[in-house]
Amino acid sequence: MIAYFVAIGIVSLIYALLALGLNLQFGLTRLVNFGIVAFFAIGAYTSALLALAGVPLVISFVCATLLAGLAALPIGLLSLRLREDYLAIVTLGFSEAVRITIQQEEWLTKGVQGLPGIPKFFASLGASQSDNALFVLLLALTALVAWGTVRLTRSPLGRLLRAIGDDEPALMALGKDPTKFKVQIFMLGAALAGLAGAFYAHFITFISPEQFIPLVTFYVWMGLIMGGSGTVRGALGGTILLMIFLEGSRFIKDWIPGVSEVQMASVRLAAVGLALILVTLYRPNGLFSGRTKT
Amino acid sequence: MIQFLNLLINGVIEGLVVALPALAMTLVMGVNRFPNAATGDFMTAGAYTAVIMQTLGVSSLLGATVVAALGTAVISVLSYELIFKKLARQPMIASLLAAIGLGFLLRSVISFFAGHDQRNFQVPLVRAWNFDGIRLLPSDLNIAAAALVCLLLVFLLLYKTSFGRQLRAVSDNPDLARASGIRARSLMIGLWLLVGIISAIGGVLLGMKAVVMPELGWDHLLPAFAAMVLGGIGSPVGAVLGALIMCVAQELSVPLLGPSYKLVLSFGVLALVLLIRPSGLMGRTELVR
Repeated sequence: MIAYFVAIGIVSLIYALLALGLNLQFGLTRLVNFGIVAFFAIGAYTSALLALAGVPLVISFVCATLLAGLAALPIGLLSLRLREDYLAIVTLGFSEAVRITIQQEEWLTKGVQGLPGIPKFFASLGASQSDNALFVLLLALTALVAWGTVRLTRSPLGRLLRAIGDDEPALMALGKDPTKFKVQIFMLGAALAGLAGAFYAHFITFISPEQFIPLVTFYVWMGLIMGGSGTVRGALGGTILLMIFLEGSRFIKDWIPGVSEVQMASVRLAAVGLALILVTLYRPNGLFSGRTKT
Repeated sequence: MIQFLNLLINGVIEGLVVALPALAMTLVMGVNRFPNAATGDFMTAGAYTAVIMQTLGVSSLLGATVVAALGTAVISVLSYELIFKKLARQPMIASLLAAIGLGFLLRSVISFFAGHDQRNFQVPLVRAWNFDGIRLLPSDLNIAAAALVCLLLVFLLLYKTSFGRQLRAVSDNPDLARASGIRARSLMIGLWLLVGIISAIGGVLLGMKAVVMPELGWDHLLPAFAAMVLGGIGSPVGAVLGALIMCVAQELSVPLLGPSYKLVLSFGVLALVLLIRPSGLMGRTELVR
């Protein structure tokens, strides 16, 4: 039972890292990233492939984070020239392009068969203890990122980022150049997603392209907008709501007779869709906020 | 050379079909100012409605398509009235997120009831004509002809009727259009009816060309979007041209990259166009940045 809660805790913290990354990009700077899962996948595959080749996990994690961040550079540069909805579709397309490439380049990624036997973190501690240790590490890391985000929001740079989101032309009129910060924040959020992907790969120990579909991106979005984007509290609260939804929908299946596993996946997809529609319609600032104005 | 011609023909046929959703997206983008990410799933809804009509005994494909077009048009208008109209004054991202959500909702309803099995339209199987190696399926010709007729009708509607003129006026300059006394409400209902109808027809034709499955439309969302951007946002002619160029490029890439990389190619074209010429072939720059 405790092992189950630890497992849920680990997955929650991985989603929390993704949500915090998106919060930096969208919540703070209004960069619409619909391709979170691409950076997540790049991180997962980079670390898994390096670790399977015998590279120590610490190095493979660093590489995963760096590579995911670097992959965001061209998209970030492109985003400077585009309106927000274009960036949305471009990142969405990027994530599908990454997934298809992983699926096709079998010499590297084993394609649809996936990569089994990815080494666990703290494997020397034994099966259950290693998960506990991973949980503690992730908790510390998430707390660190959350604390860093709060610090960033309150710093002069944070105010600048907020101003980019609120009124970019006014900012430019004041003589500030927002472009550099936008790219940096986009890369930082992507690096966080890459790190989350590395943790995911080494926790699940098996990855395949079908785990990196756009739905994952919109799980994170659903969590963030339900929690309320722009604040750490919103990102973390939204992640908890998301996990209650994801885990809860598994249990609901046992209570409703005659619904197959495949149909349950449809029900889950429907719930994500409805949540995205209803939250944007009625609670654009998140479920926790009383205000309904953006 | 013969392989090249075959791929070219295939690309043109597919381009004519993809032009329909690209047109639907560009109209919404021009008037409502957001990329309707649910367009793909409107197509899927149309394709499934038509397949179900056929299994229910509507033997003529035309009849099934008409029912599908009307059904999808109702979905489309409802989604405007219930969702997008209310989000019109919100930032664009609100409408886009809601459109993604709507797409998920439609796809999940379809896959819940119809399952994930591939379905086919009941069309008579005919052997391909063979002109010295250039293969031509009569059914593909029918698909191309149907798409062409449909496109022509839409262009007649856009350029020869009062409705089309008003729509283009709103797309060009909403404030001026309102000042000239154009009534937005009935115009919007007309627009979203049209969006539903052409998406559904596009879906049926795509389903005839390949197979019908829940991801049919979603898989064509990116090519349609790329086609729209390539042609220039808000330009109906551009959308058709963009779709043709995009699909021909996709087909011609098959011998080099294999069929799986088609989607990656359309993403590449999209990124390249946005980098070099964000206004597209016939678009206006101010809608882009």
